[in-house]
Amino acid sequence: MSVPSQTERVRPEAIKAVPVRRPGRWLAIAVIAILVAMFLHLIFTNDQFRWSFIFSSYEPGKRGVMFTEPVLEGLRGTLLLTVTSMVIGVVLGVLIAIMRLSDNWILRTVAFGYTWFFRAVPRLVLCVLFGNLNILWTRIGFGLPFDQQIGKLFGINDLNAQFYSIKATDLLAGFVAGMLALGLSEAAYMAEIVRAGIQSIDPGQAEAATALGLSRGQVLRRVVLPQAMRVIVPPTGNEVIAMVKDTSLVAFVPVTYELFFQLNAIKARTFVVLPVLIAAVIWYLLICTVLMVAQYFVERHFGRGYGTAGRARQRLRAIQAEQGSSAVEGGAT
Amino acid sequence: MTEEMVRADNVHKSFGSLEVLKGIDLVVRSGEVCCVLGPSGSGKSTFLRCVNHLEKINAGKIFVDGDLIGYHERGGKLHEMKDSDVAKQRRAIGMVFQRFNLFPHMTTLQNVMEAPCRVKRENKSEVRDRAAALLERVGLGSKIDAYPGMLSGGEQQRVAIARALAMRPKLMLFDEPTSALDPELVGEVLDVMKDLARDGMTMLVVTHEIGFAREVGDNVVFMDGGVVVEQGAPAEIIGNPKHERTKAFLSKVL
Ligand SMILES: Nc1ncnc2c1ncn2[C@@H]1O[C@H](COP(=O)(O)OP(=O)(O)O)[C@@H](O)[C@H]1O
Ligand SMILES: [Mg+2]
Repeated sequence: MSVPSQTERVRPEAIKAVPVRRPGRWLAIAVIAILVAMFLHLIFTNDQFRWSFIFSSYEPGKRGVMFTEPVLEGLRGTLLLTVTSMVIGVVLGVLIAIMRLSDNWILRTVAFGYTWFFRAVPRLVLCVLFGNLNILWTRIGFGLPFDQQIGKLFGINDLNAQFYSIKATDLLAGFVAGMLALGLSEAAYMAEIVRAGIQSIDPGQAEAATALGLSRGQVLRRVVLPQAMRVIVPPTGNEVIAMVKDTSLVAFVPVTYELFFQLNAIKARTFVVLPVLIAAVIWYLLICTVLMVAQYFVERHFGRGYGTAGRARQRLRAIQAEQGSSAVEGGAT
Repeated sequence: MTEEMVRADNVHKSFGSLEVLKGIDLVVRSGEVCCVLGPSGSGKSTFLRCVNHLEKINAGKIFVDGDLIGYHERGGKLHEMKDSDVAKQRRAIGMVFQRFNLFPHMTTLQNVMEAPCRVKRENKSEVRDRAAALLERVGLGSKIDAYPGMLSGGEQQRVAIARALAMRPKLMLFDEPTSALDPELVGEVLDVMKDLARDGMTMLVVTHEIGFAREVGDNVVFMDGGVVVEQGAPAEIIGNPKHERTKAFLSKVL
């Protein structure tokens, strides 16, 4: 009897060791617990917060500041502005990302120039700028560029080859100006996110799809973008949440149809500062919570084929290991 | 004499200043299996990719089933084909890659159905039946709803073959289909390929599986340094190579 074969060996008892003590961890938890208690104490024993002002009634006969009509109106404005500027940002961003990855150097340069400009200029400045563009141009229209100058070349005075035009003050006042400022700025960031997403996909994917006869558009829509979404969605979630908060910048356009502006107005009128700010914080927290839940589901959708992969592979390995060990056992007996 | 499925005439291809293909001449007749052997970096993959115009060649001509690949010839002048026309040519040419390149966000069935549904716009339920039958044929009838990430390498490569076959190609290109596989999984993929060859599919196969080339190949081509060093019947090239370079290569892989 030299080495005992596998079948004869008894499985040793499972390890039941005493875990390592980690006093640092317990100390940290104790400190955090005390800080939290102090924080709660600060909030709930201080009348200055005036919770009733926030939730139930801020003036006799009126609802709490969170739920008054102008604030709800402002909330609708904030949500509408977030949605519209994000739609502009995503659509234009995808387009610019595709241009940036084009074979044609002119398209690449234009896309680069766009991202360069809109990432460099602060959103606040853009908002003020878009609110004042009507000083530069009184009318904005679609049509033949340089129509008046070309007309003069041929001896026609005042040639008007604009198919459609609109007074700049009508178009670029308030909401639309704010939406464009935020949307165009967002497009620059989205373009970079989408580009990173597309570039993260193995070129073999596009190659396989091309070899099957799919057109360029189909390759992008059916194969590359759906996979890139896994990389695109998380930072886009960040962008949406940042946008909810950045809508408060349109107060400088100026747009009044916006959450923070409305709350601020109440603050100015009632001289109650802190509760109004807390009301703003609560609304922003609520919106972002909803968005994060939405993001979870979007991520789950685009993660199909991946999430299960790890688990399935583990199962496969377990099965193989089982078969492997039984083969060894079979061989030993 | 059977007709020519692939004809390459003096094909040249460079990447910048690096000349990868230096005048390749090659003919694959309908129903034949042509195996391409050669050391790494000799331009085998590049040549295969030129056949379905994934790479543009710099000089020479490639014909598949009599059609010039990638160009229209009008009045003695070559005109670049529109993307849509190139795509039309590619439909008739199936390609299988070393790294499978299955679409990981689609199930195996969706992988196989994608091209017939999107490119040819065929009837969906018909395509579904055909795709299921193809997966059955490559031995994966029970894995229809699995995602590629759940399959072994050998299974993935068999799905990739089914995906290419779903377009009913007249020519199949294989680029080292078994090189990324664990040794015990190579056999199952080669079996599917042998089955295809028996059914009369025209195949151009880049491979290091000398046994496969000897058994299934009608013709073996040995490439090195961007040129075809020698070609002929498998028994001749593998059993009795004439050139030093072929001998040196075979002594390493056998
Ligand atoms: N897209 C590319 N750009 C530049 N060089 C390339 C490219 N593809 C292949 N090559 C080069 O071409 C040569 C041949 O490559 P390849 O056809 O893949 O060889 P094989 O498949 O025979 O191993 C290699 O030197 C490789 O570096
Ligand atoms: Mg290769």
